[in-house]
Amino acid sequence: MAYTRYARRIDRNVIQSDPKRATPAVLYMDGVDFMPTNRNILFGYHFKSIAAAGPIVGAIVAGSLWGWFPALVWLVLGVSFMGWASDYSAIVISVRNEGNSLSAVAHRLVSPRTRTLLFFFIFFYLLLLSGAFVGIMAQVMDSQPRTNLGMIVLVGMGLLLGQMLYRWRLGLLPATLITVGIVLLAILTGSFTEGMFKGLNEFLNSLTGGAPIVTYFDPTLAGFKGAEAKIMPSLLFWAIAICIFCYAGSVLPIWRMAQPVVYVGFWITALAMILGLLGASLGTLIKPEVAQFQIPAFKGWNPQLGPAGIMPLWPMLFVTIACGAISGWHALFGSVGTARQIENEADMLPVGAGSMFAEFLLGLLALLAVSVGAKGGSPVATFANGLGSFISVWGLPIEYATSLAFAAFIVIVLVVTQLIFRVMRVTLTEWLGEIMPPLRNQHLASLISVALAILLVLTGTWIYLWQLFGGANQLMAALSLLLVTVWLVSLGKSWVFAGLPMIFMYLTTVASILITAYNLYFNVTIPNIRAGRVLPVVGSGLMVLMAILLVMAALFIGVDGWRAFLKYRKRPSASPQAAPARG
Amino acid sequence: MDGRGSLSSILNLRFEWGKRLLQGWRVVRHFIYGLTGYEFARYAVETRHELESIFMIVTLGDLIGVPVLPPIYSLRLLPYVASEIGMWKRCLARRKEFWEREEYDLHGI
Repeated sequence: MAYTRYARRIDRNVIQSDPKRATPAVLYMDGVDFMPTNRNILFGYHFKSIAAAGPIVGAIVAGSLWGWFPALVWLVLGVSFMGWASDYSAIVISVRNEGNSLSAVAHRLVSPRTRTLLFFFIFFYLLLLSGAFVGIMAQVMDSQPRTNLGMIVLVGMGLLLGQMLYRWRLGLLPATLITVGIVLLAILTGSFTEGMFKGLNEFLNSLTGGAPIVTYFDPTLAGFKGAEAKIMPSLLFWAIAICIFCYAGSVLPIWRMAQPVVYVGFWITALAMILGLLGASLGTLIKPEVAQFQIPAFKGWNPQLGPAGIMPLWPMLFVTIACGAISGWHALFGSVGTARQIENEADMLPVGAGSMFAEFLLGLLALLAVSVGAKGGSPVATFANGLGSFISVWGLPIEYATSLAFAAFIVIVLVVTQLIFRVMRVTLTEWLGEIMPPLRNQHLASLISVALAILLVLTGTWIYLWQLFGGANQLMAALSLLLVTVWLVSLGKSWVFAGLPMIFMYLTTVASILITAYNLYFNVTIPNIRAGRVLPVVGSGLMVLMAILLVMAALFIGVDGWRAFLKYRKRPSASPQAAPARG
Repeated sequence: MDGRGSLSSILNLRFEWGKRLLQGWRVVRHFIYGLTGYEFARYAVETRHELESIFMIVTLGDLIGVPVLPPIYSLRLLPYVASEIGMWKRCLARRKEFWEREEYDLHGI
């Protein structure tokens, strides 16, 4: 309904997409960056680029905090009125502005400082995301040793796939069968090496005589009432191992590591998701016990998270579930990665909005897994148990199915995290490379990014990292919608379809970032100061500082956007002509 | 309607369905290719582009003020690369520095 009735109407009446108008891909075709591409291929490419861990982690956390019903309502309303509009309009603005990126359009349309502010903004929001992801993965690999073999083999097979395709010139099909098959085997037989990895963890922990490296107060423990938690040497070991992998993914040529690992990981995740989705559909008929609601539909308007924390449904739910409903990352990627390949303006809607609706389905599956198939434990374990139950409908023993579900989760997070570090490295260079030339060195820029992420991991508060990231990510979507609104006003067109979601997301996300900063201060910083712990205080203090800086950057961009809005509203024709695309 | 007419309409109907099925299969195939192999194809194209760009700089560098080969060799190669010159110059114009290495996967920033 949202697609056929609302989105198509906007495309036809407001944007007036014209199949006869030449797109940048056609105008500036260079056979590489600007390349007209079939809409179905581009749909697959765009969907794969935007579908990551976001819709899964967000739905898991939101279902655990507020219950499945509010999460479901936000997913449906978010994608119907905001998500598709954000993704689609980011592609439109780039296509109609010579293939320029959002930051380049902001530089021209709003103000030059907006571009710098966007770089600053993007770097910190990626840092938050990398900290949250590395923390989640390290915890899973430390506490679920049966998944470790699969992950190690995944990295090895990714490297092998790159070698097979680009050096040995093997066909894609045989190379895929070999590498994906071996990784699947390693995941399913991970239980045989469980003892070995447990032994490794015990050995690492014995190095400090069983003493933790960091002790901190974690508000997410004891049913969200908060309790003391410890970071053991084994957890730090896995966090460092993940960071080394991400560092390699960041600095090596993309064909050597990042691209093939993502490719192999894609098949593992896709297999688990398809089996899970079909299992969930057939579960009520074949295996009714897996289709029972385990968490309540609604848990409350303001669930407790830590002793002094507040977690009001508005605004926190709207940033906890990001990518399944609306996401700034999609706008960022779509504005250049996809827009420069749009062959025909009529393809902008099916590719941009269609991919967003497909991603919504992924979020829905994650919510279903966490609410229907849950068996208790941490949110990630709950999700893996739920998805494992759905997969077990096909006759796979539950322990193997759960292993596959755990692996699918880690794989999708792992492959995304290495790409995040890659983007962080470039953003840092673009942002500060002019005034600090050593930052142009890719190794230094990557090492700084990795070190900051580890510092955040050592605070142990991944749930706040996730919510800060969610706030920053949604704010990015709001800023993208702000640009689209200003652009539409500059052309004298109706701006309501982008402007109203922008206002809602802007206010919601700024409020959520401030609440998260409040929670961090009273739930993490204060208890750890009282206990005299330095590292968690520094880490949480850094996060509070980042939250304040993000809000300040958003306010500056908002003020600039408002001024530009008023200027163009008075004189729509004042819109400057587009400059040729550059980066 | 006689028997022949109804048979032809059934065949037509089947033909229509067959066409739709084929079209549907093509869409699915393209979608899966976009999900899987398209990135590799893009990377292969990017690699070729980088190599061609180096070749152009070496042979026709004097067009952008970087004389590498004596002009006589450039002139002899000109007919073979004439169609590429516009695209090559546009690509170089988009770079901040001409030795800059393109990282196409990061253009979103």
